[in-house]
Amino acid sequence: MSLKAKLGRLKGHMNLPQEEHPLPVAEQQVIQTEPLEIPFLEKWTENDTHVYKMEDEYCFIREVHYDMDHQHGIYTLHDAKKAVEAWNEVDYSHPLSSKGIQAEEMFFFDTETTGLGGGTGNTIFILGYAFFTDRGVTVRQHILPNPGAEIPLYQSFLEKVNYNTLVTYNGKAFDWPQLKTRHTLIREHVPKLPQYGHFDLYHASRRLWKNDLEKVKLINVEKNILGIERQDDMPGYLAPYIYFDYLERKDPKGLFGIMKHNEIDVLTLITLYTHLSVQLLQKEGSDLSSYEVARWYLGLGEKETAIKAYNKVLEADNAVQRISALHALAFQWKKNREEEKALNAWHKVAEEGILKEQIEACIELAKIYEHSQKNYVKAIQVTQNALSLFPPDQKEKKAAADLKWRLVRLSKKAGHTKE
Amino acid sequence: MFRKKSLSELIEGLRKNENIINWHEIEPQEAKTREMPEKVDKRISAALQKRGINELYSHQYTAFQTLQQGENIVAVTPTASGKTLCYNLPVLQSIAENDANRALYIFPTKALAQDQKSELNEIIDEMGIDIKSYTYDGDTSPAIRQVVRKAGHIVITNPDMLHSAILPHHTKWVSLFENLKYVVIDELHTYRGVFGSHVANVIRRLKRICKFYGSSPIFICTSATIANPKELAEQLTGNPMRLIDDNGAPRGRKHFVFYNPPIVNKPLNIRKSATVEVNQLAKEFLKNKIQTIVFARSRVRVEIILSHIQELVKDQLGAKSIRGYRGGYLPKQRREIERGLREGEILGVVSTNALELGVDIGQLQVCVMTGYPGSVASTWQQAGRAGRRHGEALILMVASSTPIDQYIVQNPEYFFERSPESARINPENLIILVDHLKCAAYELPFKENEEFGPLDVKEIMEYLVEERILHHNGETFYWANQSFPAGNISLRSASQENVVIIDQSETANVKIIGEMDRFSAMTLLHDEAIYLHEGVQYQVEKLDWDHKKAYVREVDVEYYTDANLAVQLKVLEIDKTISRQNTSVHYGDVTINILPSIFKKIKLTTFENIGSGPIYLPEEELHTSAAWMELKQSDPTLGEKTLEQLLMGIANVLQHVVPVHVMCDRNDIHVVSQIKANHTGLPTIFLYDHYPGGIGLAEDVYKRFEDVKAAAKNLIEKCRCQDGCPSCIGTEIEGIKAKKRSIELLDQF
Repeated sequence: MSLKAKLGRLKGHMNLPQEEHPLPVAEQQVIQTEPLEIPFLEKWTENDTHVYKMEDEYCFIREVHYDMDHQHGIYTLHDAKKAVEAWNEVDYSHPLSSKGIQAEEMFFFDTETTGLGGGTGNTIFILGYAFFTDRGVTVRQHILPNPGAEIPLYQSFLEKVNYNTLVTYNGKAFDWPQLKTRHTLIREHVPKLPQYGHFDLYHASRRLWKNDLEKVKLINVEKNILGIERQDDMPGYLAPYIYFDYLERKDPKGLFGIMKHNEIDVLTLITLYTHLSVQLLQKEGSDLSSYEVARWYLGLGEKETAIKAYNKVLEADNAVQRISALHALAFQWKKNREEEKALNAWHKVAEEGILKEQIEACIELAKIYEHSQKNYVKAIQVTQNALSLFPPDQKEKKAAADLKWRLVRLSKKAGHTKE
Repeated sequence: MFRKKSLSELIEGLRKNENIINWHEIEPQEAKTREMPEKVDKRISAALQKRGINELYSHQYTAFQTLQQGENIVAVTPTASGKTLCYNLPVLQSIAENDANRALYIFPTKALAQDQKSELNEIIDEMGIDIKSYTYDGDTSPAIRQVVRKAGHIVITNPDMLHSAILPHHTKWVSLFENLKYVVIDELHTYRGVFGSHVANVIRRLKRICKFYGSSPIFICTSATIANPKELAEQLTGNPMRLIDDNGAPRGRKHFVFYNPPIVNKPLNIRKSATVEVNQLAKEFLKNKIQTIVFARSRVRVEIILSHIQELVKDQLGAKSIRGYRGGYLPKQRREIERGLREGEILGVVSTNALELGVDIGQLQVCVMTGYPGSVASTWQQAGRAGRRHGEALILMVASSTPIDQYIVQNPEYFFERSPESARINPENLIILVDHLKCAAYELPFKENEEFGPLDVKEIMEYLVEERILHHNGETFYWANQSFPAGNISLRSASQENVVIIDQSETANVKIIGEMDRFSAMTLLHDEAIYLHEGVQYQVEKLDWDHKKAYVREVDVEYYTDANLAVQLKVLEIDKTISRQNTSVHYGDVTINILPSIFKKIKLTTFENIGSGPIYLPEEELHTSAAWMELKQSDPTLGEKTLEQLLMGIANVLQHVVPVHVMCDRNDIHVVSQIKANHTGLPTIFLYDHYPGGIGLAEDVYKRFEDVKAAAKNLIEKCRCQDGCPSCIGTEIEGIKAKKRSIELLDQF
C-alpha cells in the first residue's frame, strides 16, 4: 500500500484537527514568487505599510499616526501624557508609577500569534506598539509575511524599539515570554533582546475590577470601564485562522482587520494606563475601585496613602465599600492604640458588614474586651455572636473551633472574677 | 505454642512437597571488583567510601571507562547489582570537572524518578560539591520549575514529561540543552511495543533540539536481561552502543522452584486453581514473618488473592501488613506501600507486574508467582525481587492450567536454557511517526532534507501541508496550526483519556479512588461490573462513557465479573503471502470492530458461572496489521462444526505461544478464529496487533511463522491430557480426536 493511501486510511487516528475553518476557503491560487517579488504589494502600500528588506528576505512595517487631541474612550492622548507626568508629583511608590519616566520612553505593546498558550511553535505574526512622539502617538506594527521571515521581523523590531519601559496587558505571562521564545530560535542572526521595565496592566485591572467584571479581559475593561466601543472589530480568536488563510492565498485583505484590531489594542493600553494612574493617584472623586486602590497601597506598605484612600471611601456613596473601608481602618486604629475608635468601628461592622467582615469584627471586639478591657461578659457576648454567624456547614472549621475554645477560656476567666 | 520457622526450615519442608516438579538452585556468586579509577574526583570517592564503597564492581568499572572514551553504553544488570552507580559516577564526575555540564535522567515512571532523586541527593550531600538535582514532573510546583530549568545540573524526568512539557518549551531550557553531556535512560527494557515506539521518536526530537543548541549528549542506558539490549538501545537512541554485561555484584543462593497444583479431575486434566494454592503457600511464609511478594497476572487477580490472604492471616497479622500494589492506586498510596516494604512494616505485598520495575522496595526473601508471567525476561525480573546479597532466597512459580504454564513447568530446560525474549519497537509505525513529526515541526522548523529516522519523511511532511498542519516555504516546513500537538498525543496507549473511578458509597464523602485506561475500562468498569480496589469490592453503578467517569459503590458479594468482547474483522489489503497446496499465510492490513457484548458473574470460591448480563458500550474501531492463516481446502469428512472447534483450539494455543515468541503483553496481540472469514469465506485464524497502525508484532509472527507453528505443535504434543484440555486446545470434545487433528491441520501450513 502506498504511504499516501495508508495516511488516508489511518487519518482517524492521527489527532488531526477537525475541519472547522470558520472562513470559506477559496480555491487555492498558486503564486510563484521570485525573491522579493511581493504578492499584492499594492494592497499593502495602500494600507500605510512599507516593506523592510534584509538581504533576500523582508517583512512589513505599518505606521499610523494620531494627534495629541485624539480621544480614545474617556481620555485624550493629552490626558494620557499628563497622567504619566502626574506620578512625578507624589512621594509614594507604586509598581505602576512612571515617576522619572517620560511618556516618550514608554511603549505600549501587544502581539498577535498563531495559537494559544506558550509553546515554542506558537508564532508571533504581528508585533504592535504605540509610542509618544513630539507630535502625538504613533502606532507601529511589524508584520510577518511568512513563517520563514522571522529574522527581518525581529531585526526591524529590535532596531526600532529604543525605549525603556514596556506596557502590556498580560505581557509578563504571555507576550514577552513568547517573544523571548521566538527570539531564542533565531538568536544567532539578530541583536540581543534589551532589558525593559515592564508595567503589566492585567494584574492591576484584576485587582481593581475583578468583582465588577465577569472576566477581566481587555475587551471587557474597554467596554465597561474605559468607554471604548469597537466598530466592525475582527475578534482576536479568529487571528490564527485569518493568518493561515493569508499564508495560503497571500491576499492580505483579512489581515488588515487583525492589524486594525491590534492597533486598537495598543491604543487602549494608553487609555488604560491613564485610567489606572488616575485611580491610583486619587485624581478625581473616588469611584467603585477606590476601596481596592486603598487595599493595594496597604499591601504595598504605603500606609499613609492607604489611610487617605480609605477615608475617601468613607465619604463615598457605596455603603458596602464604606463598611469595608471602616473595617480596614479599624485595624489601623487598633495598631495606633486608638482603641475607642476601633471599638466603635467594629461594632458598626459587626452590624452592617458582609458575613466575613461581621465575624472578623466580632473576633476583634472579643480580643479587645478580653485582653484590654477585661470585660469578659461583653467578650462572651460578641464571641457567641461570632459563632452564631457561621453557616451550618462551616461550624466544624478551625476558625469556629478557635472561637469555641475562646468561649471556654472566657467562661473560666469570667468565673474567676466572680469568685 | 506457635514457633516461628526460619526460611531454611521452610525450604527444607518444601522439598518434600509432592507438587514440586522442578527444583533449580542458583549458586551464590562472589563479588568481582576493580579499584576506583584514578580519574574519579577525590570528593566523589570520599563520599562513596563513607557509604562503604571502596571499589567498583567490574561492570561499574567498565561502564565508567567506556564512557570516558566517549562511547554510548547499555549496561545489563540484574536487580540489586548497583546499576545506579553505572550512571551516577560518570555524571557526577563530569559535573565535578565542569560546573556547566548538565545531565538528563529519564525513568519510565514518576515513582522511579523520585527514588532516584533521594538516592542521588544523599551522595551529593556527602560529596560537598554544589550539584543541584531535581525531578521535573507533573508534581513539580510552578515556583520551583524556573529554578530547575535554569540551574538544575541533573534533571530527572519521565518520557511523557519530556514529550509534552520540556521539548515543546525548549527555549526555556537553553542552559540544559546547550550543555547536555549525558542522557540516562534507565529501565530500557520497558520501552518496547507502543510505548517504546513513541519514546524512540521522543528521543529523535530530543537529539534534534540538542543539535540546535550545539550539544551532542552521550547516552547511558541500563536494562534488565533481555535478548537484544544493544539492538533496542540503538533503535531507541539512534546511536551506536557498547554492551556492558560483566556483572560483578555478589549474590546469595537462590532456589527457583516450579510448583504444579494437583490434578482434581483426571479425564479433563483439570488442576487445582493456582490462586488457591498461592494463597496457602503465601500464608505459610507470612505466618512465619518472612517478607514475601506475590505476583499475579491481572489487577482483578491481585485483589482476589489479596483479600484471601488477608483473611487467612488476619488472626496472626494485622490486615495493614499485607497490601496490594497495582496500576490504578493513587501515587500517595503506592509511595506509602513502597516505604512500608523497605522499612519492614509491611510483610507481604500482592502485585501486578507494576513491581517488576526498579521501584525501591528493598530485597524480599520469597517471591511467589501466580502463573508464568508471560515472558522469560519478565519472570527473571519478578524473581529478582527475592534475594539478598547474602543469605538464601526462594522463588516459587505456581503454574496455572493455561497451556503455556503447563508447558513451562513440564519443560524446565526450556525456561532455564532459553535466552530471554527480544524487546521490539517499531518507531516507523505511521501513526506514531506522524504524531512526532508534528511535534518536531512545532518545536523547530523542519528542513526538507532533514532526517528523522530511517524513513524518508518528506512525503509525510507534504501530507501534513495538505492537511493544513504545516506550511511549506522555501526549503522548510513550518508549524502552521493553532493547536499544541503534544497535548493530544499520549505515549502510553492508543486511547488518550483515562476513566476516573469515583466512589459514592458515602453521599457526604464522594471521592476518586483510582483511574483506568479506556480499553481496560470497557471490560472492567462496565455497568454492574464488580471492581476490586485494595481488596474491597465495589459495584459499578454507572459508567459515564462520554465523560469518562465510573461511579462505584462498595458492596459485599460472593462473585466477580468477567467481560466478553465481540470482534469483527475485515481484510483491507494483502501485503505478503506464503502459499502452500491447501493453505496460505498472509500478512496485511485489517479493520477490527470491537464491541463488549456480555459479562459473566463468577463465584469467588468455586469459579463457577452464576449469571450474566449485557454491556452497552459503543463500538471501537481499529485499523491495524495482521497475519492470518487460511485453509483453502479442508478434509470434507471433518464437518463444519468439528473444524470450527479445531480452529478455536489452535487459536487458543497460538494466543499463548505468540506473546512468548515476539515478547509482548498478551493484550498487545489478539488471536481470532473464523470458520468463514468475511473476505474469502474460508476457515481462517487471524493474529492482529492491538494498536492502530500495528507495531510490528503480526509482521514478526509472519516472518517467524515456522517457529510459531513448531512451538504450537510442541505444546499440543507434550500436553499430558488425553484429547484436549484447558492447558492446550481447550476443553475436550468427545470423539473428534482433536489433538491429532489439530496437529495434522497445523502441518498443512
